[in-house]
Amino acid sequence: MSEEYILELKGITKIFPGVKALNNVQFQLKAGEVHALMGENGAGKSTFIKVITGVHKAEEGEMFLNGQKVDFKGPRDAQAAGIAAVYQHATSYPDLTVAENIFMGHEIIRHGMIQWGAMNKEANKLLQRMNADFDATAEMGTLSVAQQQMVEIAKCLSTNARIIIFDEPTASLTRSESEELYRIIDQLKAEGVSIIFISHRFEDMYRVASRVTVFRDSQYIGTYDVDGITNADLIKAMVGREITDLFPKPDVKIGEEVLRVEHLSRTGFFKDVSFAVHAGEILGFTGLVGAGRTEVVESVCAITRADSGNVYLEGKETHFQSPSDAMDAGIILLPEDRQKEGLIMSWGLGRNVTLPVIEKYAKNGLNNEKKERELSKELLEEVDTKAVDIFQPASSLSGGNQQKVVVAKALAQEMKVVIMDEPTKGVDVGAKAEIYAIMGDLAKQGYAIILISSEMPEILGMADRILVMCNGRKTGELSRDEATQETILELAMEKGATTKGGAA
Amino acid sequence: MKKKSAFRKLFGSREFLLAVIVVLMFAIVSAVNPAFFSFKSVTDMMKNNAVTMVMALGMLCVMLVGGIDISIMSTLALSGMSIGMLLKYEHIHNTLLAFVIAMAIGTLCGFLVGLVISRADVPPIIATMGFMYIYRAMGYLVSHGGEWAGASALGTFKNFATTKILGLSCVIWVIIVCYVIFFFFMKWTRTGRKIYAVGSNAEAAEVSGINVRNIKLMVFTVMGFLAGLGGALQVSVYASAMPDMQQGGEMDVIAACVIGGVSMSGGRGTVIGTLFGAFIMAMIPKALPLLRIDALWQNTIKGVLILVVVLVNVILQRVADRNALKGREM
Amino acid sequence: MAGKSGRTISNKPESPIKKIIFSWEGILILVLIGVNIFCKWFSEYYNMFNLLRQMPVYLAEVFLMMPMAFILVMGEIDISVGSIACLSATMACIVCNTGAPFIVVILTALAVGTLCGVINATILTNFTELPPMIVTLSTQIIFRGIAEIVLGSGGSISAANTAGFKALGTKVGKVPIILFLVAILAVIFAIILGKSTFGRRVYAIGTNRLTAHYSGIHVQKIRFIIYTVMGLMAGLCALFLVSTSYGANTTTGTGFEMDAIAMAVFGGISSTGGKGNLAGGIISAFIIVCLRVGLGQRNVHAQVILLILGVLLIAAVALPNLIGQLRRAVKKQ
Repeated sequence: MSEEYILELKGITKIFPGVKALNNVQFQLKAGEVHALMGENGAGKSTFIKVITGVHKAEEGEMFLNGQKVDFKGPRDAQAAGIAAVYQHATSYPDLTVAENIFMGHEIIRHGMIQWGAMNKEANKLLQRMNADFDATAEMGTLSVAQQQMVEIAKCLSTNARIIIFDEPTASLTRSESEELYRIIDQLKAEGVSIIFISHRFEDMYRVASRVTVFRDSQYIGTYDVDGITNADLIKAMVGREITDLFPKPDVKIGEEVLRVEHLSRTGFFKDVSFAVHAGEILGFTGLVGAGRTEVVESVCAITRADSGNVYLEGKETHFQSPSDAMDAGIILLPEDRQKEGLIMSWGLGRNVTLPVIEKYAKNGLNNEKKERELSKELLEEVDTKAVDIFQPASSLSGGNQQKVVVAKALAQEMKVVIMDEPTKGVDVGAKAEIYAIMGDLAKQGYAIILISSEMPEILGMADRILVMCNGRKTGELSRDEATQETILELAMEKGATTKGGAA
Repeated sequence: MKKKSAFRKLFGSREFLLAVIVVLMFAIVSAVNPAFFSFKSVTDMMKNNAVTMVMALGMLCVMLVGGIDISIMSTLALSGMSIGMLLKYEHIHNTLLAFVIAMAIGTLCGFLVGLVISRADVPPIIATMGFMYIYRAMGYLVSHGGEWAGASALGTFKNFATTKILGLSCVIWVIIVCYVIFFFFMKWTRTGRKIYAVGSNAEAAEVSGINVRNIKLMVFTVMGFLAGLGGALQVSVYASAMPDMQQGGEMDVIAACVIGGVSMSGGRGTVIGTLFGAFIMAMIPKALPLLRIDALWQNTIKGVLILVVVLVNVILQRVADRNALKGREM
Repeated sequence: MAGKSGRTISNKPESPIKKIIFSWEGILILVLIGVNIFCKWFSEYYNMFNLLRQMPVYLAEVFLMMPMAFILVMGEIDISVGSIACLSATMACIVCNTGAPFIVVILTALAVGTLCGVINATILTNFTELPPMIVTLSTQIIFRGIAEIVLGSGGSISAANTAGFKALGTKVGKVPIILFLVAILAVIFAIILGKSTFGRRVYAIGTNRLTAHYSGIHVQKIRFIIYTVMGLMAGLCALFLVSTSYGANTTTGTGFEMDAIAMAVFGGISSTGGKGNLAGGIISAFIIVCLRVGLGQRNVHAQVILLILGVLLIAAVALPNLIGQLRRAVKKQ
């Protein structure tokens, strides 16, 4: 029976100190199919991939390649057997050229010397196959995320891989870039390459995959045909329960204008952006990745300086000199990158929550640790964080719970405007719903909310008004009733076509 | 993204800029004092800075993987002092053997440093600081508590620096051979490129099957080897060995690399750049007396030069970034 | 608020006694006791009286260790402090020899140190792309270079009017002034680093600079203050250096930056930032001081003491890492 499968894994168990990352997991990949692998964060997908690619060694279980039992000692063995992976975070060398990135570890060598000419030529051939618009001698660090991903794919192709694993490849791609990726995957499939595709996005799965396997809590749940499966089925398989209402947008009466931004510009990032947000309102901010959304709100919060334009808070013009000025005034940003900008991962939850407000509770410059502990306990419970105590490090929580800590950190401050930048990025379905619920509650309490998101359903589901940006400019503003997937996309792509690949 | 012409690439490169600086410095000093413009003056300059020039290559490798090594001059003192004492007490006579012993001691020292850094995960600055104390003290112990090995004690060994092959001092040949080997090693061999890969993204290197720990061990061992070689060169050029030789000299080596465009955070830097950097460092003490500047000013000028080079670099980068941003159409 | 599941999160801190016993500081205290027992056995002259008498020579470096701890906690380094001390000492001697009142001499040393610190701080906060190692490497060469120029071809200067410096070197009762000063400053610095909002922010900067910036912390202002204080303390260190040698030369303070870093790192303050506290640094400083006094009494050469220090330093950082690796390996089995 195993003949029809190019790759089959049985009874895989992988144990890390203290946790069973994979528990008796199985998986079958047919030759020439695109097989999606889904599951919440921490379900064990990434570990599973690393077992296949020989980075980790499983404690138990067997792996068959073309019906033959194999036992990889390291990444090299897997590579030699024709298995390659495009990882979630680009594993590139920013200081080296594209050609070197592609051929790292299997350079073209003659007489002990690297053949640069031959390598560049070979690399350009691979790039042309994917209609890439850059040269093999370009420096990796100067490329956009999508271009870097092409290089990663070219790297797989250069090893003549027969099985390619994509680990959340679309996570940081724009829609048009995703389309380009789908096209490349279709092409690979046509060439007979078998593909394992990991993604959080259902649309990815429907578009490229023919079968889907679901993991939950380190265990195998099932394998389904993509034809005939519904979102609800999948969510149930992934979460283990049904989620009835993903977007609990409450009806809130919209109040006074709180924040108004006029003609804000920053050279090279955005130009002439104006908008306003009212109490109790959720203003959606969308556009392609790199459209300048994050940059606009960071300038509003004085994290970076705008070159021109005015910001009014409750009708009064403001001149913030530093992020703390904006925070004191009540404009709170929940940054896009939780781990790098939002939290101090090695610190306890409590200290993370109170970091922006320690001064408020301090006496004579000395910290009031007792008050801090009380405050952080209260706030962390308020957002329902799944944590044991306030001293455990932020890194021990899942993405969704980390995001809740970021929210608690915001709640510690006097808020008027809450800016949430991609609050559900990398968060699994279950936790997503909880974050939406918190967002709805905040709106109910009368805060003005700006929600930056690339996820269409989220924007359509939560926002009262939607502002669309493209290439550093505001291209449109839609009311909740006007907005549809199509109208938003049209505005977001207005000039996108002419600068393909240039959006970095 | 358009393909840059090879021509533009050459002129836009850091190495080109450094070459211009070297030529300019050379021209200015020669104009003020024509004595500088001679074959002998250049070879003298190289000979006197042989240690820095050779060891800058090792520092290049160390800095490429994001490390730093401040123990090198202690290694130099230990290996140089060891052969000094061996020669003085006539345990050995052969010059070649002395070189081999010095390099072996240096390699062993570097290997130990590399082990502590790559296997026990001690930050390079801390590990090499510890070994800086340890090796310096060992050099002192080897010297029986501060004895020197003077010119008379060194026998034929000191002749190495004065012997000429094809009109060039042996010391200069050593420099040339080192630079040629490293030039090919860093650009055309797999191991050389692995060093760049580790410095550019260690995590990615690990995933693609490069043994990052071994690469780190290797660069510190190579650094130690070159420090051992430097020890032998030092003793032969200055015809003496003492336990406190080149104290603080590691800063000159690091400075040569920094001026040569090697990044402190790893992944960036070339052999050619290092050569120019070492050259610029070597020219300063030679040029100052010719320009009638008191030798007392030497260090201040060196320091200011390093500072100016790194500041100019940052400012140029900022200007370039700004222009790139202005160029983005919106 | 949002779907309250009634889950409670504990906020009871661990007992402080358990914390102290199982900490690096606990181990260091044992080492300090061990070193004292060893020194007593090693040297017949090792007693409280002699310890207090011989200590001041080695204590000046502790002034450098305290602000250096802040810099290391920020994940940075300052290798120019030895040179700052050299320049400050030189200028203090020059001013002293003009016959100026001693208070002016003190102010000169402190002002020169502070000025050097401000120079470092200005460059580092305006050019944040530059690693502190490079900047302080160049200022290390420059500051000592200036001292060399000022000192001229002789390369040294002695203070003609030593009365003031002698006063600095005296004792109150049996305790030297410098020990008092070290103790007072240690308490102040330890409280600022460990208990104050400023200290918490320093740890935040050292652990995740970007998050610190996003959380409204004035990262550059804090860096500026710390590098400036570092310069000021180098000036103070210089005063006490002169008070033991009544002069300065081009090698004054050479390698002090490394000694200060070594003390701090041996005290458990990680050079990669965010870890350690000043108590550890102070204990380790006294371990080193005691060791130097004890070994020095039997004429053990300074180089041998450095060798021991080098081994201790590497062991202090390497052993916990190795034990951690071993533990992980055993667990995997």
